[in-house]
Amino acid sequence: MRYAILLMGAPYSDQASHSALRFARALVARGHRLEAVFFYHDGVYNAARLAAPPQDEPHLVDGWVALHDDHGVALQVCIAAALRRGLMDAREAARHGKEGHSVAEPFELTGVGQLVDLGQRCDRLVTFGP
Amino acid sequence: MSHDNDMPDGELLVILRHGPHGSSWLREGLDVALVAAAFGRRVSLLFMGDGVLALLAGQGTGALGQKGTAPTLEMLEMYDIETLWVEAEALARFGLDEHELMLAPQALTAEAIAHAVETHPRVLTF
Amino acid sequence: MKLHIVNRSPASSRVYGQALSAMGPDDRLLLIEDGVQGALPQLVRYYEDIPGRLYALREDLEARGLLGHCDASVQVVDVDGFVQLTEEAEQTLSWY
Repeated sequence: MRYAILLMGAPYSDQASHSALRFARALVARGHRLEAVFFYHDGVYNAARLAAPPQDEPHLVDGWVALHDDHGVALQVCIAAALRRGLMDAREAARHGKEGHSVAEPFELTGVGQLVDLGQRCDRLVTFGP
Repeated sequence: MSHDNDMPDGELLVILRHGPHGSSWLREGLDVALVAAAFGRRVSLLFMGDGVLALLAGQGTGALGQKGTAPTLEMLEMYDIETLWVEAEALARFGLDEHELMLAPQALTAEAIAHAVETHPRVLTF
Repeated sequence: MKLHIVNRSPASSRVYGQALSAMGPDDRLLLIEDGVQGALPQLVRYYEDIPGRLYALREDLEARGLLGHCDASVQVVDVDGFVQLTEEAEQTLSWY
């Protein structure tokens, strides 16, 4: 089946991100296609490329990137929710006259329309909230 | 109170469970509803729990000038979002009457809420 | 049939009531994260209206040391079982 995940909890603040990553891995292990993870609300912090958790803790950002690299899962970050919270890629940083950037590929900044589209074309959309 | 045959077929039900100003849940949930409607989806809105407070008349801006969500709610009709429901039990808990709310939503019993969820192919909770 | 996912404890949050209001007669409910507290014998009464349709996530029970405290009426599933529940349901709703 084709799945999408909507993640709205901040990493390391709530269990939501851990739950979503664990669920995502179980999905692909059972042979499902995970089209995308859509990061919304405080879930956008999962895209922070500067996240540096202690080495004995699960690295969530690396976990998402590995899902993308190994299974082609799109990592879509709501641009409106991200910009408000100081999360932007190099292009948006240049546009807003900011030094440095906090989001990098394979995370992509995109609109809520992508979430609507995922809801339409995937068989299942599973939400993880804080 | 609503009866089953009052309910049109919506494609997406957005459930809003938070009041204005205290968090961004209401705004971000409404944004999803508006974008889905702009994409041509038939969207229904259910205000549940604290979410019923979103419909109180006379809301203002926050102390720092935060806009709040009432102006957004007034745009719902422009986006053709016409199915608006409130949880009857939550209204009772707050001592509110459905007739004193903006946008004239229809109050739903728990049974009618279950039916609304049942009849929408996609439901998102905020 | 839909799958409802609850991650809050009925001891401290009204979210369980919202999920129950939205449930149809065949719908199932899965407790995850702090929601697994609802599987304890003292708290499972909040879910007495959905006999046989209440599930709890094993990993979250184990992590909290609650696995041995689960009420016998609750069906315990691992994350693979979680995925299977989403396969069997036509859609999922999350209450958080």
